[in-house]
Amino acid sequence: MQAHAEAPRWARLILLWMAVLALAGCTTLVPQTVALRTDWPAGVPRQVELAQVPFFPQDEYQCGPAALAMAMKFAGASIVPESLVDEVWLPARQGSLQLEMLAAPRRHGLVSLRLAPVYADLLREVAAGHPVVVLQDVGMLLPQWHYAVVNGFDYASGTIYLRSGLQQRQEMPFTYFERTWLAGNYWAMVVTPPDEIPATATESRWLEALLALARGGDREATVLGYRAALARWPESLPAAVGLANQLHARGSLQEAAGVLRSALRKSPNSVILLNNLAQTLSDDGRHTEALAVIRQADDPKSPFAGEVRATRELIEARMR
Amino acid sequence: MNLGFKKTTCRVLVVSLLALSFQTAQAGLIGADQAAAGTTSPERAMLLSTLDRTDVAAQLQAAGVDPLAARERVKSMSDQEVQALAQDIQAAPAGGINTWGWVAIVLIAALVWYYAIRK
Repeated sequence: MQAHAEAPRWARLILLWMAVLALAGCTTLVPQTVALRTDWPAGVPRQVELAQVPFFPQDEYQCGPAALAMAMKFAGASIVPESLVDEVWLPARQGSLQLEMLAAPRRHGLVSLRLAPVYADLLREVAAGHPVVVLQDVGMLLPQWHYAVVNGFDYASGTIYLRSGLQQRQEMPFTYFERTWLAGNYWAMVVTPPDEIPATATESRWLEALLALARGGDREATVLGYRAALARWPESLPAAVGLANQLHARGSLQEAAGVLRSALRKSPNSVILLNNLAQTLSDDGRHTEALAVIRQADDPKSPFAGEVRATRELIEARMR
Repeated sequence: MNLGFKKTTCRVLVVSLLALSFQTAQAGLIGADQAAAGTTSPERAMLLSTLDRTDVAAQLQAAGVDPLAARERVKSMSDQEVQALAQDIQAAPAGGINTWGWVAIVLIAALVWYYAIRK
């Protein structure tokens, strides 16, 4: 008798545990979507769709060039996916590597920035008018990597809008999108013109992106990027140094000296600023001023003592 | 001995050519990267980055990219990116298709055929 009475209690207990596990499963399966439900990022509208983002249907496996071309064209480059194939397509891997996706826009005077692996950041960028290139795993059983462009979302229906593969407007639930996106560690990037800093960029990440842009060799674009950085983070020492160096390389020595001088007002003891100002002044033929500046940088404990000595010797040699 | 000498000279030339073509430093000025990083040894960093760059360019070539294009592609990567890529160019997921996926599909199909169909 007693055994019969026990049975429903057992069943109830199992059911309860299954419910608990299912709920716990949800939070671990799509942790960020669950967080979004209660904690929608402040200042982000509930519904955004960037309809102006162009659409390029992809050729076989070439989702990388297609997705990148959409983002780059939207950012102002005149480009078609075919011309990007030679820049990001890796024949032996039948695909495109993320790092190459980040490197390619720099060759066209655009800045590429990898986003933090955060759902809210993706939404913020889309809301700020920047379509986001994402890496998804769209395979059913086995991994199949795929690049697509997020160009909108709707909170009410829980939908992400993508330009993906052959679909101009793919609608995907927040949860399903997170599953596909999670597999690649939430990899996402935006492409912007150099004078437009992405909404979620931090000072150090933007400056890192500019250093990489400078490597690509587009000096005018890099100058624009550093100007934007200095406008947004006026206290930034690396931004001032970077801008001055780019101006120096372009031959605008007086402007470079001006940038360094105004940075020196904020950090008067910076050996880097003093050294570079002295070098710039000397290159401009103002050796006496340069010598006065480099003397202030005389600090044997500085990691740049060697550079400072070299600069001073150079100036003294030029004065002879 | 003469051949060995020639070989060494060739290698030195190749490395120095690559090293020079990947350098971007300006004479006399301290770079913004060092202003941000603080106190890394710039020479060592540059040497490592140059080695990684030639390595990555060679790996891209091996993966079917035209040699000139490979060099251009590496040129616009930051030092950190080159370092990351030098380590896992083979393992990094490439958007497109996964070759191991196909291997697994074929393998499973073969097993199913062997055990279920071929009796």
